[in-house]
Amino acid sequence: MRLRDLVRKEIAELSASRAFWLLLVIVGLLTGQAFITAVNAYAEASGVGGGAAALAQGLSPLDGILTPTLGAYDLAITLLFPFVAIRLVASEKSSDALKLMLQWPASIERQIAAKAIALTGAWIVSLLPFFIALMLWRGYDGHLYAPEVINLLAGYTLRFLVTAAIALAAASLMSGAANAAIVVLAFTIGTWALDFIAAGRGGIVQTIASFTPTATSRGFERGLLRVDVVIVMLIVSLLGFAIAANWLHLGRSIKARLAGTAVLLILAGLGILNVLLLVRSSFDLSENRRNSFSAADESALARLPEPLTITPFLASEDPRMMDLENNVLVKLRRSVPELRVIYPLAGRSGLFENDARYGEIVYQLGPKRVMSRSTTEEIVLDTIYSLAGVRAPARETSSYPGYPLATRASGAELVFYVVWPIVVATIWFVRRRLSSDEVT
Amino acid sequence: MSLAVAGLSARRGSRTVLTDVSFTAHPSEILGVIGPNGAGKTTLFECAAGVLPFDRGKIDNDLLFYVPDAIRPWPDQTVRWTLTLTARMFDTQFDPSLLDDLDLVALQHATVGSLSKGETKRLNIAIGLASPRSVLLLDEPFDGLDLRQTRQVMDVLRRDAAKGRTLVLSIHQLSDAARVCDRFLLLDHGKSVAEGTLAELTSRAGAVGLEEVFLALT
Repeated sequence: MRLRDLVRKEIAELSASRAFWLLLVIVGLLTGQAFITAVNAYAEASGVGGGAAALAQGLSPLDGILTPTLGAYDLAITLLFPFVAIRLVASEKSSDALKLMLQWPASIERQIAAKAIALTGAWIVSLLPFFIALMLWRGYDGHLYAPEVINLLAGYTLRFLVTAAIALAAASLMSGAANAAIVVLAFTIGTWALDFIAAGRGGIVQTIASFTPTATSRGFERGLLRVDVVIVMLIVSLLGFAIAANWLHLGRSIKARLAGTAVLLILAGLGILNVLLLVRSSFDLSENRRNSFSAADESALARLPEPLTITPFLASEDPRMMDLENNVLVKLRRSVPELRVIYPLAGRSGLFENDARYGEIVYQLGPKRVMSRSTTEEIVLDTIYSLAGVRAPARETSSYPGYPLATRASGAELVFYVVWPIVVATIWFVRRRLSSDEVT
Repeated sequence: MSLAVAGLSARRGSRTVLTDVSFTAHPSEILGVIGPNGAGKTTLFECAAGVLPFDRGKIDNDLLFYVPDAIRPWPDQTVRWTLTLTARMFDTQFDPSLLDDLDLVALQHATVGSLSKGETKRLNIAIGLASPRSVLLLDEPFDGLDLRQTRQVMDVLRRDAAKGRTLVLSIHQLSDAARVCDRFLLLDHGKSVAEGTLAELTSRAGAVGLEEVFLALT
């Protein structure tokens, strides 16, 4: 049996579900709201209506428009799509259609693959409001940088795949749709908690937390494409789909299915471990190169003679720590071949610290050590260069011009709040009428 | 193609639900699996179809298709979609005469979720017949049908068996079983109690009619 036939069946099931059409309407409304708010805020920052304009270089469509607009999909992926995915399996389990499907010539693995393909198709359809927002933005003469857009979409698509895989696995494992939904929501809340707990902790906890959906999104939202993140997200997605298929083999004993799950978890764990140990490549796809030092600095840092250890005596909630983490360490991790960051105050609050060293940042390069308190990029780099005994390269000024746009989101309300819901409702209605006459 | 099941045993937790069940069904034959509630009829079908695990035993025909009792598959899709899908999944063409045979023409554009119990039962039988598998297992094919519909479905099944398919039916209404089946497998407490034609069973039990056989042997 061809995979195409199975995908057609899943698409028919998806389009027959009211949940999917409702999701499309809600995603359109959320995207519209996010886009209109973002464009108007961007316009105000750009000096619309005679207000003072922010520094042009600070006005990036990635931060100002793309990320907030796609934020609507953050909600959809977390709270809406899992239900659509769960339904694809749970309804066939509860109606016993699964017992018929297990006897088809197509393996259940193939059938799960068809569900994954159909769900990805649904995801792409649901991105239509985002593409409409992009067209409107271009219509306002807004600037877009293709690598940033593609990277951001890739990140959200990977996140969607992980969610879909977990939802299908939960639906296969649990006895009903409601139980599966609880499992998926528990997973999401668990990753939020992990993300919160691990901030600035360092070690394995922070490493694991850097792969939570929220953390991975942050990277893509900065224009950073980390190869390890992409591979881990793909492994987790495949693991979810494989677990789903494993638990739908009703003819296998529970013991056999548990053993199959254990094997899958071990294989995925080994794969992820290998990625963590071996893969460090990343690409800065942001137009303003926010994840990179200048080429001269990167070249100098790549040639540091010995491993560099940085020990910030700062609590994770301290704004200086956040500044150091987001603006300096993220770049150093990409530039210094052997970098170790120790977080001695992990999990402690800076408010009540009596540690005399609080606020110090200790740099160690081989036997040499130096202390600084600054979290500014230039000073951190100068500290490292002086420690290494190399001359700091000449500073380059950023060539990023910034893209202010003092235009409000005219016409967007009509498109997202009126036209989109009407179009979705009309297609749903016509499809229903046609399906009653359809000979598939 | 015939179906041969040998020494099938299955447990659910600590409870034994099938013990060393063996039987054979031949082409163009309708074998009725009868027995009291909880005898293991459905479990036997599900193990044979591979949708429920079993501990021991051998099933020599993997070209069978089993339609469970009281299922309502793909409730948002139409009757015709469901039958076409089944045929397509087996790489065959859907035969529209099935709709006529099972009185589903008027319902072909209705959604499965909107069907009554009897209508759903006829759809489920049609799903089984839409599959080209040489052995068809139907769980309670007459449950929910009125007398006229029962007779109609029996005719359809007989015609299908006459084309060479092996039919194995689980039936709790003994009068229906006696009317449509060529041979019988009597199950009780997960064990095969007797197998044979009505004449063979009545002779063995020293009883008259299938109901007497049932009461004598279970």
